[in-house]
Amino acid sequence: MKTKIYDLLSSVKLTVTLFLVIAASSIFGTIIEQGLTPDKYRQIFGETFFHVLKFFNIFDLYHSWWFTFLLILLSVNLIACTLKQIPRVAKITIKSGKKIDDSLFTSSQIMNTLYFKEPQSDIEKRVSLFLKSISNSLTRVSNNGVFYYFIEKGKFSRFGMILVHVSVLFIFAGGLIGAIWGFGGQMNLVEGGKSDTVYLFGNEGTKKLDFYVACDNFSLKYYKNGIPKEYKTVLTIINEDKEVFKSVIRVNHPLTYKGFKFSQASFGVAGAYNFRVKVINMTTKEENLLTLDMMNKVPVSGNDLSFAVARFESDYMGQGPAALGVLIKPGEEHDIFWLNKNSPIQRGDYVFMLNDFDIVYYSGIQVNKDPGVILVWIGFILIIVGFISSIFFEHIRVWVRVSTEKEGCEISIAASTSKNKDIFKEKINRMITEYLEGETA
Amino acid sequence: MNDTFIVSIVTFLYFLSAFIFLVSVVFRKDNAEKIATVVAVGGLMLHSLALIIRWIHSYQLGIGHAPLSNFYESLVFFSWSIVFIFLLIRKQYKNSLISMFSVFFAFLILAYVSLSNTLDCQIQPLIPALQSNWLISHVISSFLAYGCFAIAFGLSILYLLKKIINNNIVNLLPDTAFLDEITYKIISIGFVLLTLGIITGAAWADRAWGRYWGWDPKETWSLITWFIYGAFLHARLARGWRGIRMSLISIVGFACVVFTYLGVNYILAGLHSYLEY
Ligand code: HEM
Repeated sequence: MKTKIYDLLSSVKLTVTLFLVIAASSIFGTIIEQGLTPDKYRQIFGETFFHVLKFFNIFDLYHSWWFTFLLILLSVNLIACTLKQIPRVAKITIKSGKKIDDSLFTSSQIMNTLYFKEPQSDIEKRVSLFLKSISNSLTRVSNNGVFYYFIEKGKFSRFGMILVHVSVLFIFAGGLIGAIWGFGGQMNLVEGGKSDTVYLFGNEGTKKLDFYVACDNFSLKYYKNGIPKEYKTVLTIINEDKEVFKSVIRVNHPLTYKGFKFSQASFGVAGAYNFRVKVINMTTKEENLLTLDMMNKVPVSGNDLSFAVARFESDYMGQGPAALGVLIKPGEEHDIFWLNKNSPIQRGDYVFMLNDFDIVYYSGIQVNKDPGVILVWIGFILIIVGFISSIFFEHIRVWVRVSTEKEGCEISIAASTSKNKDIFKEKINRMITEYLEGETA
Repeated sequence: MNDTFIVSIVTFLYFLSAFIFLVSVVFRKDNAEKIATVVAVGGLMLHSLALIIRWIHSYQLGIGHAPLSNFYESLVFFSWSIVFIFLLIRKQYKNSLISMFSVFFAFLILAYVSLSNTLDCQIQPLIPALQSNWLISHVISSFLAYGCFAIAFGLSILYLLKKIINNNIVNLLPDTAFLDEITYKIISIGFVLLTLGIITGAAWADRAWGRYWGWDPKETWSLITWFIYGAFLHARLARGWRGIRMSLISIVGFACVVFTYLGVNYILAGLHSYLEY
């Protein structure tokens, strides 16, 4: 029973099945959008279906219990498999070639026997030329007048495969550590503002840092066609009222402080100030330019009317920036209206137009902490090294036995490769023709 | 000279090369095979020149970046990758029919590029998120991987044809065991490149958003593709699967490649906006 379970857990059948099952179930998470609010899902799927999907955690599929289980099963599979592979690879690489016996010439992947009329010494020269064309490390032993030759190449490639498997474990371990002890969230800092609160992704509340992050300055550059070219934030880290660190972050150029990573992710309009509003009195044709800040009441052209801006939208009803104007007449209800930039609006005797304003941006900063990331990078580097040695190199072994017969001698060749048997077989045959049969033919 | 004009010459050269390969298949002429290969090499050289000119041109416009950033540029590079991979491994199989299909595939992509009127071939400035050297290595390794998988896909189709029907043309193909092996070889190279593509993509995401993996649809689909080809390699190496089953996995794998490349942008994006309203 125990060995049966172990066999199953270390089997490649399980690996292939898990690969296909994980691939297939991942598809759902790309079709059903992840991380919306429950109400939205109710609206899309209806009440009953919603509960079924919720049980399987389809709305956060990649962190669901069953998806996590699949990944853990794959790791267990990988560990069991690696433990099984290591002794096998050790046996092939350490012992290989040391022990030459006749059974090799009847049980290898590639076998060939040739007969020659020439004396053995002639043939041996050819054999060593033949073998040296593959590799220089030639071993030769004799046993009762029978000579055995052995060469091998690319032994290390066998370890490549193990390295690949071990690096996947590194990556998984790093991912697991990140999932447990790491977090990710967003912080929107208005220019001049500071905060120590990160809003976690996935509606998971907030996290307080034990220091403050301040945005001293945010700046933005555009290309001629209006696409953003560069935006950056001057960030200051403030610890116990002291500035401890100052740095500029741009997209693709984050800042790391105490294991927290601050990346420039987005920006937006937080508000506006210094509104310039033109007011024209239609009867007197008198023009007046008001300059005002938010919620600050100014008189309109010397009489008892006054005007204020109560709100600002960077894109009001898809028509661009607009300010909510309030016209205040003593003893009457306030007249409230939206002023789109550069489009005049008439209220009674007056025409109002929003000429310009200055914008305050907020800088959208992603804050991440991932103590597992170092393992992931190590895994990434090792997997590439492992790949290069396991896929682009092969472990080749060739054995040759030369024995004297009544007339001339007999050569038996055995060879094996860790991959691409057919291609290697062709190569060996070509070399046999070239080095061994060449002169006799 | 204008790079889009060079690309149209390259399109023609690939067509010519595919045609000469066909001649070499039908009339069994070795010379034709050589000529077709030379034409393909010439095409690839011009193709590279077009990429370089476009690169230089973007700097002259003051928005310098590698020509790998929008859909037009990625298609042109996809086609380049197929021919590049094909020429790299052609010595291994030397079969005109396989060569013909590879070059023809590259031709079809360029023909679409030239004929489509929805494709914008202007050099566009890069938004800040795309301004990263990781992005260049990411795109190059991913598309070289796609090139391998595209050729493996062609080989798998040929394999199935050879298994299912029996006529003179199909008899010109190498035997099935050989096709099977060469498909495996290309897929294992593609798998390494895809892994490299995912890793460089993760490194880029880590720079840009502070996390190396976020399960967004593009990332997820590249992982799905990776698992499919991973299953291919393990089924073959450790379970000894061969033949039709392997061809089917390779075809499914390529369908995933195409979906990762196009479907995520065009189908899923649409699906999501549909669900929201
Ligand atoms: C995500 C995880 C895995 C990755 C990325 C991976 C990757 C690889 C690669 C690249 C190869 C070499 C392919 C080649 O030489 O063409 C390989 C071979 C192999 N893998 Fe995995 N593998 C994984 C999981 C597993 C698991 C869980 C098992 C065990 C049950 C396993 C068993 C094997 C075996 C037996 C071979 C063939 C070794 C040989 O015959 O040389 N692999 N794997």
